[in-house]
Amino acid sequence: MPIVIISSDATQAAEKIAKATAKAVNYQCLGPELLSDIAAKYKLPADKMAEAMGVSKSPWRRMRPRRRTQILSCIEAEILDRLQADHVVCWGLAAHLYVQGISHALKVRLLIDEDQQVKEISEQRKISAKKAAKWLQGEMRKKEQWSQSAYGQNELDPTMYDLVINLGHIDPDEAVRTISGAVAYRKFQPMTYSIKSLAGNAMAAKVKAKLLETLNEIRVQARDGKVVVTSKALKREKQKKAAAIKEIAGQVEGVEFVEVHLINYVIREAAESFR
Amino acid sequence: MSHTLEILLLDDEPIVGKRLKPALNKIGCEVEVFQDPLSAVARIDEKDFDIVVTDIRMDEMDGMQILEHVLTKSPKTKVIMITGYAMIALAREAMEKGAFDFIAKPFKPDDLRQVIAKAADAMGSPIDFAPVNGLQ
Repeated sequence: MPIVIISSDATQAAEKIAKATAKAVNYQCLGPELLSDIAAKYKLPADKMAEAMGVSKSPWRRMRPRRRTQILSCIEAEILDRLQADHVVCWGLAAHLYVQGISHALKVRLLIDEDQQVKEISEQRKISAKKAAKWLQGEMRKKEQWSQSAYGQNELDPTMYDLVINLGHIDPDEAVRTISGAVAYRKFQPMTYSIKSLAGNAMAAKVKAKLLETLNEIRVQARDGKVVVTSKALKREKQKKAAAIKEIAGQVEGVEFVEVHLINYVIREAAESFR
Repeated sequence: MSHTLEILLLDDEPIVGKRLKPALNKIGCEVEVFQDPLSAVARIDEKDFDIVVTDIRMDEMDGMQILEHVLTKSPKTKVIMITGYAMIALAREAMEKGAFDFIAKPFKPDDLRQVIAKAADAMGSPIDFAPVNGLQ
């Protein structure tokens, strides 16, 4: 059966609908509570994880890109691993951004009525409706920037989802019925290709998380136990760096073969030649 | 094995049939190999196969048309799509049209044998299948 990924700016509604959908289709439900397990497993501070996921007040300002990518790779590795168990509804973990290309992942976006959101923000923050609307716009901009920066995708773009439900017009029970119905569609059923793609993405995320502990600018692809790592290196460092990548990546469970592509650090080499 | 599975394998690259036919014979399947989609369709019109394995991108007729043709003629036949151009939209289209499975190339013969075994199970004719290590 397909895996269901629910994304929304309305946390409470997403949680409620995700849990009700999981119950309706007899699936396991994964949500943000999983982050504490990931923090413990990878020894990551909770505040840094929140910062990497763009939920702190000033994302990116204090965190170096490599650290951010490394934390996100740890989260991605763990979630993708759990998604392989199948029969899962996942919400609040930004999984919609890293299951693109997995045909048996049903990606759902829940929209909430903007006027309602403004009203709630205004009441919660005790500010005028005008200020609340401005604050909301700022939050949306931050979300867009975060998803673009971290995954190269705009999570506010409805075309990246399979199903978009406007909760301003569809009540939560009806949303659950709609999602549960879509789970049965033939086009979302798992197949060898999508199962292998998911397994490959999970392995790539594990290898990337491991490599980013010590290296920079890494791209990893994986399939059937074969891993391809692309990075940059100075000409004189290439051999050493390739050997280090092979050693580190080879330690990850399930990796059978590592291929390393190192591109010349043209700018750094040019800069060094002028010294 | 309750009965010999009859398989039609269609791929315009001769090497695919050449390599997969003996791999499927090893698990007791009878395999007819075609490179030309029109000849394959003519054979499908003559005979109901248990399983059809077809490439998607071919010149005279694509795999989606083969899929539709097979299922119209013989709805119980399991159709397995193989392609070197796997993409989410194509995979979903194939599943929606009734494909049994969709495999991206390159794959190991064992991958196809596993899917064949799954199809045989679904047809109620399970086959003995043990992965063959090292065979590419």
